[in-house]
This record gives sequence, C-alpha cells and structure tokens, in this order.
Amino acid sequence: MNAILDSQIFRLLRRFDPAVTTAFGCILLLLVVGGTYSSNFLSPEYLLQQLKVASFLGIIATGMMMIILLGQIDLSVPWVVTVGAMMSCAVVGHGTVGAILAIPFGILCGVAIGLVNGFGVAYLRIPSMIITLATNAVAQGLMVVYTGGFSPQDSASPAMRYLATGFVIPGLPNSVVCWAIVGALAVFLLTRTTFGRAIYGIGNRERAAYLSGINTRRIVMTAFGISGGLAALGGVLLAGYASKAAQSMGDAYLLPAIAAVVLGGTSILGGRGSYLGTVAGVMLITLLQSILSVMQMPEFGRQIIYGVVIIAMLLLYGREKLQR
Amino acid sequence: MINSSPLLRMEGVSKRYGGVRALEKASLEIWPGRIHCILGENGAGKSTLIKLIAGVVAPDEGHILLDGKAVSFASPAAANEAGIVCIFQELSLIPDLSVADNIMISDPPTRAGMIDRKQQRICAEEALAQAGAEDIHPLALVKDLPLSRRQMVEIAKALARKPRILILDEATSALTAADVTKIFAVLKRLRSDGMALLYISHRMHEIAELADECTVFRNGQKIETYKAGSKTNTEVVELMIGREYKNVFPPKPVKKSDTKLPTLQIINLSWTDRLRDISLSVQRGEIIGLGGLDGQGQRDLLLALFGVLRGCSGQVLIDGAAVKINSPTMAKSENIGMALIPEDRKTEGLMLPMSVRDNLSFAALHRISKGGIVDSAREQKLTQEMINLLAIKTANVDLAVGSLSGGNQQKVVIAKWLMNKPRIILLNDPTRGIDVGTKQELYVLLRKLADEGAAIIFYSTDYDELIGCCDRVLVLYDGKVTRELVGAEITERVLIASALNIDMEKVVHA
Repeated sequence: MNAILDSQIFRLLRRFDPAVTTAFGCILLLLVVGGTYSSNFLSPEYLLQQLKVASFLGIIATGMMMIILLGQIDLSVPWVVTVGAMMSCAVVGHGTVGAILAIPFGILCGVAIGLVNGFGVAYLRIPSMIITLATNAVAQGLMVVYTGGFSPQDSASPAMRYLATGFVIPGLPNSVVCWAIVGALAVFLLTRTTFGRAIYGIGNRERAAYLSGINTRRIVMTAFGISGGLAALGGVLLAGYASKAAQSMGDAYLLPAIAAVVLGGTSILGGRGSYLGTVAGVMLITLLQSILSVMQMPEFGRQIIYGVVIIAMLLLYGREKLQR
Repeated sequence: MINSSPLLRMEGVSKRYGGVRALEKASLEIWPGRIHCILGENGAGKSTLIKLIAGVVAPDEGHILLDGKAVSFASPAAANEAGIVCIFQELSLIPDLSVADNIMISDPPTRAGMIDRKQQRICAEEALAQAGAEDIHPLALVKDLPLSRRQMVEIAKALARKPRILILDEATSALTAADVTKIFAVLKRLRSDGMALLYISHRMHEIAELADECTVFRNGQKIETYKAGSKTNTEVVELMIGREYKNVFPPKPVKKSDTKLPTLQIINLSWTDRLRDISLSVQRGEIIGLGGLDGQGQRDLLLALFGVLRGCSGQVLIDGAAVKINSPTMAKSENIGMALIPEDRKTEGLMLPMSVRDNLSFAALHRISKGGIVDSAREQKLTQEMINLLAIKTANVDLAVGSLSGGNQQKVVIAKWLMNKPRIILLNDPTRGIDVGTKQELYVLLRKLADEGAAIIFYSTDYDELIGCCDRVLVLYDGKVTRELVGAEITERVLIASALNIDMEKVVHA
C-alpha cells in the first residue's frame, strides 16, 4: 500500500520536471511583460490568435521531438513543410478527386521524405545531421524544378482552408483542434505503446535497446516517417491558412521547432523529455516571437535571441549532466 | 652492471575502487638491468599496479620511491617526464598520421614554433632502429600497416621517450612469432643497456625466456617475489591460485545420461579470426562454463549465438532443428527463446536514467502489450513478480535504475530477461563488480533455472565460479575450444593450466 502511495507521489513529482516548470514560468513572465507593454496583449482574441499561430509550430515540433528523443535531429523540416504545402496544392488542380486527395497526398509526400531520412540513418548509418540536410536540399531542388522558382499558382482546397481556419468547435480554430489531436496521439504513443518505450530506450542507450531484442532500425525509420508526415501536415495547414503555397515557407520553422523541443526540457542527447514540455516550449517560442514583433524587433534581432536562448538552455542541461 | 639500490620501490601501496580493493599494501622493487615479470590471474591487481606506476591513478596509501625519493605523478605525462613509459595492450596510435608523427607525438622537435619534419624523421628513424623495426618507413601512414607492425611502432614510440623504466602490458599479444623473437632481442639489449623492464604476460613460455625475477599477485596482494627459474610451472600456478574455498555454491545434480536432444547445438561456428570451428551442445538443465583467459573469443561466441555478429559461418541447431539467428529480436522470439545477459550492464544491459519498471519490461514488451499498446496492470504485475523473485532492493519501480547499487542493477539485467521465460540463457561475466552476497544469490538462481529446464552457457573470468557452478567447462584459447572439462576434472589448477595452454602433463605430474 505504502509502495503504491510512494509511487503516486513520485509520479506527481516527476510531472514537475524543473525544465517544464521553468518553461511555463517563462510563459507567464512573457505574458506579464507583454501585458504591461500593451493591454491588448492579454485580450482573449489576441491569445487565441497566438494559440492558432502556435498550432502550426506545435504540429511540426511534435515530429521533431520524436527524432530528438531518439538522439537524432531532423534538419529536413523546412522543405518538407514546403513540399507538403506545394504537393497538396498541386493535386487540388486535378478536379474533385484531386481536392479529396490533396491533404493525404501532401502528408504522404512528407512521410516518403521522412522514410528516406530514416532509411539513411537506421540502415546506411549516415549521421542524421547529414542525411536530413541532404534530403532538405534535394526537396528544395525538386520544388524549384516543379515551380520554376516562382510562387506556384495552385491554391489550397476548401478542405485545407477549413482545416486551418474554420471552426468545428465555436471559438476554437480548427488548426488548434488539429494540434490537440496530434498532441493527444503523441502522448499516447510515447507513454502507452511499445513504440514509445522503444524510442526512449534507443535514445538512452541504443546498444542496450538493440541487445534487448528491439528492432531498433525499424523504430528509427518509423519515427523519421512520422516526423516527415507531421512536418508536411504543418505545411498543408499553412497552405490552407495562406490559401496557397510559397517558396521557402518552411524556413521559419526549423530553428523554432528545435528550440521549442529543447526549451521544453527534452534532452538534445535523447532519451528524456515529456510532451507537456514541448507544448510549453511551443507556446514560449510563439509568445517570444509575437512580443518581439510587437516591439518591432527586426528579424535579425529575433534570430539572435532564439540562438542565445537555445545555447542558454543547452548550457543548463550540460551542467545537469556533469553533476551526475 | 652492479647496482646497490633499486630504481623504483613501492612500499605498502593500496588502491581501492569504491568498495573493491584492487591493490592492498603492495610492495615491489624494480632494479635497473633486469626484467621483472608480473604474474597473476584476471583481477589479481596487475593492471592497477601498472596504472599506479605509470601515473594513471594515484595510490590511496603508501609510497612510490624513484631513486630513493618519494614521487607522486599527477598524470601519465608526469610519469613519462620521470622516465617511466608504458606500452599498453590497446594501441595508442593515431591511424591517419604517419609513423614519424606518431612516434614523436608527445614532444615533436620544433623550429620557430613549427614542427621540424626533417629532424622528426631522423628521430623516428632512430627510434625504429632501436626497436629493431628499420623496415618500417617513417612516413608511412599507421593505418596502412598490419597490426603486428603497428605494435612495433608502439614500441618505437615508447623508446623515443628515452625511458629508464619500460612497462609492457601484454604487449606481445598482437604479434606474430617472428616479431616476438625480434622484440625479445630488443628487450634483452635494453636490459643489458641498464634499463629496468616490467613485463606482464599470460604466456608462461615468454616469461620463462625473459624474466630475471618474477612477482606473483593474487586478489590485490603481493604473494611472492622469486628468482626466475627457481620455481616449476606447477609451483607458480599454485601461487596464483591459493585461495581457500568457501561453500557458496549450490550442490550440482547427479549427471543424467545424454539421451535427449540437445536444446542448443553448435557445429563448426567461425567468425573472422576470432572464433574458429567451435562446436558444442547444451542439454536442458545443464550449465556449461566458458573458461580461458580474458579475450580468447568467449564474448564473441555469446554475441554470435545471439545474432549480433555478421558473417558467422557454421550451424546452430535448436532442439535439433537448424536455425539462422540474425538479430537479437529473432534470438528472443518464442521458438528460440534465448536470452543474453551482457557484459557491461551500464552500456549494454540497462538504460540507466530510465525507471526500474521500464528497464525490467523492456526486453519483454511483446509479453505485456497487445497491438503495440502496453497493458500497465500486467506490466506492474510481472515486474513486481520479478522484483520479488530476485529480491531486488528498490524503494519503488519509478526510480531511475542508475540509482540502485551495482548488485541490484545486475539483478535488474537478469530479471528483465527472465521475464521472457528463456530456454537458453547466455551469461557474459555476470558477476563482475558485484558483492559476494549477490553473487551467491545468482549462483543459486542459475541452478534453479537449470533445474527448471533452462540450458545455460556461462562465461566467467572467475575460475571459482566455473568450478562451483558448471557441469562442464569448455576452455577457449585463441578462438578455439582447446579442452573440455567434465565434473570432477574441473579444478582451478587444470583450468589455469589449460587457459595458459601449457602442457597438461607437466603441470599435473611435475
């Protein structure tokens, strides 16, 4: 009996991961700072708008988190996002069938690139940093060939627009609902399934996981497939949001996605982190971006601040490792 | 050359790692112009002794005196400075640099801050000549040289530092016979030049040829120093054993007749040059020991069986049917039912930051899940069963497994595999670094598992364990099974003799 009680207390304590708590603390701090700067900042409309903006990053960061948990990295995000957007819009041009297939086709393209990444990492043993950077370049090249380097003329299907901007639940944008569903699935996958266990196991010690009879290659490949699919879904939603795809529309998501995951307490070395942390990281990044733009901070300033924030967080984790 | 005082003297030097005494009040004298050989079983304290002299670790107590003056080296570099140079078993060369670069790496000749290549080449050539390896071109890349040549470069590198004391730790294990002869000539010349040499080897005939004096270590203690040639092989082996037996092992069952089909049979298993034509068979209820010196292919054999090594040839039969096991996933599957308790629990057995429960259920996820979804209640039940069965001491199952004691961590490694109810259990030196009490529990558990029908292959570097636990012991030497010992034949004396591959008759009847 006592043991069960102990166990519950322990789980409760674990939920208060210091990194997650810090992230939520920072969110509150940003809200207070923003609130004193402009009273609009705390209005429900503005906050809901932030949540909507956050949902695109949230979906992309979900995939990134799985890869980082494995101890890998996915740098192909920018052009996988763009591929998802462009390919779904491209299919829309092909009549009713095209309109129906637009969303699944866009996602499928992303899954395909992700599987190539996964194959390279798991079977060919290419470092993920290299292979994902390479597929990113290839995807960029293919899209430039396809569009001729201009913004494509295809526009998003009504379904895509509805998914990004409509309201199933009054007051709550559909993109936020999408993120909620993706998030719930991710939590389930990471905490309740053998796949999730295997991800944490591989991230902690790949050799031990392999010697435990886990098919580590298949797990790694699947995770990259999921990451690619989620990045493309993010692209589909962005295309729906803007009504059309655009060149390098995904470039703005790579660093924020990594930053969100790391700020949320997921170890960049893999094996440790919770989805709640990633949610906090996404919100933190979105608010930070928003405040910086409200304060009319130029683009370069934002980039510098992201970078510095990531370095600061990594230093924090590095120190924790040394203590052990 | 007559010297009245030793070059290096150790007095009452002790070193502990955690609770383990690696060396206890050891004293030793090293004289110039002599080759001093160190003998002892695995874990007798030889490597600790070398590390202390070479400045890799610092002693907990006692003194090391060089030329009669107490010294304490802060680092290997400081020991080098004082003229103590060590050649380890593992090579320390950088493959992509040239031979000359490697030889002069710690202190290259410079001119105006740049490396003086010409001078460096001359120095390297001198060192190579001194090592008797003039045939190696100083500008060749190390990675292009075969292993035995690299070892010669290693020796040249040590000589280039102009040592007064040269330590060789199993330095000849990678060499061909011709190279060994060359090296021996070099070592003898260095001895006559007045250098002090400390030589560690498991090869008795090498020691017989080289040694002026020998010291035997056992269990971290110095047992005896004697003049070379004053003792027979038998006496030496007895000095190396000499432990009293404790009654820690469960009784072995009376041997049944081998009429059943073996659970596991291997025919002519080979893998590169590490495993050569190994054949063995294990019955239900049998514990087979793997003996021999460390690194004679025992680990590779277990990994090969578990499907980890690529490119194995030979046949593996489970219950008489040929199978091809090509991954751990397959090895643990229902119809094979194999489990491997790996050698290093920290990197191969456990995910240290993860919880006790996650670790326990990790190899048996398929047993506690349906359609990929983990059944928490069932997981809780099975992990609790294992914790009770092995008496794992943990406050709760959510604790990180890394926070448990070594013995309890090892129990978790074993428990995680027992959850799979394996029929064939491979153990790779499972009692290393754990306390006596836990060891004893493991012995009892192993016998119990065997009695319940498991076939067990047990590699141990501890001869007592092989004697106490195993029904049969196969001794490996250089990737081959050189001897099979059954029942009462398994004695420490015979084990050590076969491990060293010395002629049995001499040992038994000398």
